[in-house]
Amino acid sequence: MLGFIVKRLGLALLVALAVSAIAFFLLRLSGDIAVAIAGEGAQQADLDVIRKTYGLDRPLVVQYLDWLLKTLSGDFGTSIYFKADVAALVFAKLPVTLILGLSSLAFALLISVPLGVLAAIYANSWIDRLALAIAVVGQALPNFFFALILVMLFSITLRWLPVSGSGSWLHYVMPTIALGYYIAPAFMRLIRAGMIEVLSADYIRTARAKGLSSYAVVVTHALRNAAVPVVALTAVQLGFLLGGSVVIETIFALDGLGYLAYQSITYKDFPVMQVIVLLLSVVYVLLTLLADIANAWLDPRIRVS
Amino acid sequence: MTDATSLPLAASDVTGGRRLLRRALAQKSFLFGFGLLVLFVVIALLAPVLAPHDPYLQNLTARNIPPFWYEKGNWLHPLGTDPLGRDYLSRLLYGARISLLIGISVVMIAGLIGTTMGLLAGYFGGRIDMAVTFMVTTRLAMPVILVALAVVAIIGSSLWIVILVLGLLKWDRFAVVMRSATQQVRSLDYITAAQASGASTARIILREVLPNIAPHLIVVATLEAASAILLEAALSFLGLGVQPPLPSWGLMVSEAKAYMFFSFWLIALPGSALALLIFAINLAGDGLRDVISPEKRN
Amino acid sequence: MRFFDKASTALAATILAATALATPALAQKAANTVRFAYDQAPESVDPFFNNVRIGVIIGANVWDTLIYRDPNTNEYKGQLAKSWKQVDDKTIDFELREGVKFHNGEEFDADDVVYTLNFISKPENKVVTQGNVNWIAKAEKLDKYKVRLTTKGVFPAAIEYLAGPVVIHPNEYYEKVGPKGQNEKPVGSGPYKVTNYVPGKSITLELNKDYFKDSPKPQPKVAKVDIRFIPDRQTQMAEILSGGADLIMHVPKDQADQLQTVPTLQVVSGETMRIVLMQMNILDGTPAPALKDERVRKAIIHAIDREAMVKNIVGSGSRVIHTICFPSQFGCTDEGAARYPYDPAKAKALLAEAGHPSLTMDIVAYRERNQTEALIGYLQAVGIKTNLRFLQYAAMREQIATGKAMLTHQTWGSFSVNDVSAATPNYFAFRSEDITRDPQVRDFLEKGNNSVDPAVRKEAYKAGLKLIADKAYAVPLYSLPVYYVASKDLAFKAYPDELVRFWEMGWK
Repeated sequence: MLGFIVKRLGLALLVALAVSAIAFFLLRLSGDIAVAIAGEGAQQADLDVIRKTYGLDRPLVVQYLDWLLKTLSGDFGTSIYFKADVAALVFAKLPVTLILGLSSLAFALLISVPLGVLAAIYANSWIDRLALAIAVVGQALPNFFFALILVMLFSITLRWLPVSGSGSWLHYVMPTIALGYYIAPAFMRLIRAGMIEVLSADYIRTARAKGLSSYAVVVTHALRNAAVPVVALTAVQLGFLLGGSVVIETIFALDGLGYLAYQSITYKDFPVMQVIVLLLSVVYVLLTLLADIANAWLDPRIRVS
Repeated sequence: MTDATSLPLAASDVTGGRRLLRRALAQKSFLFGFGLLVLFVVIALLAPVLAPHDPYLQNLTARNIPPFWYEKGNWLHPLGTDPLGRDYLSRLLYGARISLLIGISVVMIAGLIGTTMGLLAGYFGGRIDMAVTFMVTTRLAMPVILVALAVVAIIGSSLWIVILVLGLLKWDRFAVVMRSATQQVRSLDYITAAQASGASTARIILREVLPNIAPHLIVVATLEAASAILLEAALSFLGLGVQPPLPSWGLMVSEAKAYMFFSFWLIALPGSALALLIFAINLAGDGLRDVISPEKRN
Repeated sequence: MRFFDKASTALAATILAATALATPALAQKAANTVRFAYDQAPESVDPFFNNVRIGVIIGANVWDTLIYRDPNTNEYKGQLAKSWKQVDDKTIDFELREGVKFHNGEEFDADDVVYTLNFISKPENKVVTQGNVNWIAKAEKLDKYKVRLTTKGVFPAAIEYLAGPVVIHPNEYYEKVGPKGQNEKPVGSGPYKVTNYVPGKSITLELNKDYFKDSPKPQPKVAKVDIRFIPDRQTQMAEILSGGADLIMHVPKDQADQLQTVPTLQVVSGETMRIVLMQMNILDGTPAPALKDERVRKAIIHAIDREAMVKNIVGSGSRVIHTICFPSQFGCTDEGAARYPYDPAKAKALLAEAGHPSLTMDIVAYRERNQTEALIGYLQAVGIKTNLRFLQYAAMREQIATGKAMLTHQTWGSFSVNDVSAATPNYFAFRSEDITRDPQVRDFLEKGNNSVDPAVRKEAYKAGLKLIADKAYAVPLYSLPVYYVASKDLAFKAYPDELVRFWEMGWK
């Protein structure tokens, strides 16, 4: 087990390193960071000075290693646009995005688990078909379009919810729905498939034969087993949610990481962009690592393969 | 990593084309989705014939005309005009071209990269497999929207740049599916027989392996096309995708959003068109998957 | 399709009904708080380190200047300076006001003025708005409340700048914290003080109870101003429709017209000093060499129906301009300058004559996207295809300053300075955004900037502006009106300088 964890940890580190390198070189490809720092009225001489002071005249590889070492030691650099410490900027926005990500996930599970379970129990009935229809329609609706419709309905027409900002939990309701509904279908399909498989398995038949109620069978036996792949998917989807938050946070002016990412992209704020891409990748790598370890612990066969 | 290696893949159930066709025809949702998709393709191809006006022709004296079912609407512009006086129906029809072009081109680029990688990894295994798996995992760890946004913002955005960027980012699922499909096909008897008869590796891959896993490829391609179209729409919505005056549906939603409180149709029409297209593609893709491996409907 | 019809009608009806019934605006009146939503966040709150409108607005409310220009009469009055005297062509003496305190309690005196003016005049301090400060040579303290300012050359517009963008910082605080600290915890002496600032999200201003009574700015009445940065126009509209904001600005004409029908809202509009223009890159090594051909440039101007744009999408309070300056600015004139009326046939002919029946080029833009799209449509109609790069202002400026831009869709507000020296030279006197660089034009403009005699200045500017127009170095489009949408009970006035004066606001 320990060997397995060490191996996977090594791989995770390598992946994070690769992403950081790709992000760094990609973002530096064409943008002249010196011009961005210099601002209006900069002369060639100013640019030269800036290149020197920021070390931009060195080879890109050296700059990358320098940036990496600094980042690893906790120095994330200074935002070109906001002239503030990147670490402070990013970590101030992190809670908003975390709340949004987790609440979206909770919302997605809240609709997908019951629907998936019902669809499996009553496979090929109208409930199954309804659940499928909801899934297919859900996946087809672009989230920005859905978000705008929510604003129309809940803020303008009904006036139940505030439009934008992050002042109270009410501010999170619409972004949560807009972000969460989109990942719900994937969960629903997975739960349905898993449930169907488990329900037809021998031990469930045995449990039924022993006279356990259907409720007990479904909840205590089938659902628990069907949940294993869901855990793995959760890790993947959470990473996906963080990416999707760019669009949703911008629409709702929700001051999180996604919105900051959008701002830093439009302001060509390279230091901030790099750190956000790296952070999201690390979060993703960590989540999949945890899911791997959890799965290996649950299912010893994985460890061997 | 979890999803790179353990994505659910239908067990290879390679059967005769005729049987597949018969099963496909028996599936109502597939037929419906496929039919809808064909309709979109026809619209895209015939847009110049169907469109009543030049979709780029602006006329500032005929702006914001509502569709025909409103009192102020007229049949000259059946779906009205946009805030620059361009015929909305014509723009919607041409928009189908852009969405389909993006879906198809992205899938071709991504499919080529991903399939090659997956085939090589699955067929040769060993170091190549490890390298490909690592690349897939790395790619999955990068947030697609963010990276696409950043690259497009830096190098400038046009239709082809968006296609290229998305194509270079979305090969992961092809690689994953191709890899496991190839692994399964590889151990089958006739491949071993071909190897024994001295056929070249390239020949075996192209002639024996690829045709056998093509159905999986098509399923992945449809679903990835839908996702690429949605991504383009999201990029365009944020103003960093396809650029005006091209009538991309995502861009049309973006341009109409300030009008949504008082002229709802401006956003509802392109938004619905987009949703309907994705719906059709997903339905066809899901149906296809069920047809290929009915026991694995999930 | 019936669905949209019904949904839309029902929606419009409910919007009207709901807003008529709702009373959140009244609640704000009770709380005496103005909630202002703006689309762009400033890069820094320090007025010398941003060049966006919201920065100018915050600057005027949080800081004071030596001189104050009354927006109603355009008369100069003493603000931090009690009086001033032009000693010679390059020297002005100021007598400062006593008893003024900064928000942190620091006392205002000559040291603050001397420190601020000397700090911003030094290029190594990298003030972002160089055009506003690079005329200052030095400032000296004569005594505790007397300061002498020396300009580099003859600079007749000095008073105008000192009444606008050149605010005074507290020297002890600024020396200690620098521009970075002044951005994080801004301290000024103005009618409002910053009590909370979250970069990129919001800034909260609270009334300065100790604001000096003799200030020509009226004493503030509104207790609190919540400024939130909301990038999406429709989110701003949703906020004001649902009572979540009390004031938004830069609303496009169409949206303003629609919001006008909502009973709880008022729409206020007016002309501004902001002019809209298109630049064309004709530098050596331009990525669009076709622009070097005068006929191509003239064709571009002929291709655009500016009258139709003004009438249909720009809005009331806008006028077509023919030279690159705002008509009320000192020295601005279009007399004798070449004009290029809307004539797509002629544009096509000119392009054909130049050997470019079809062209493709980039256009960079940063605001009024609907107008950019109209421009793109007009250009497309005469055979010029464009790739739009819609960027943030700073990013667009970078494209221009590095010579990568081809066509630009620019706007310029002259920092509300009512003098041509604040407008035309920015694009034609070899500054970083000059992508035409005609030395003859520069010399005319410099002469205008640095002469004392008003007649000489006018003559020089006229010659420069005429040359720009005759050579078609840029496309003069129109002046931009500004539309404000506010809740009905907010009392405020719109001025051409696009400055939101919270200190004048109250409730009806």
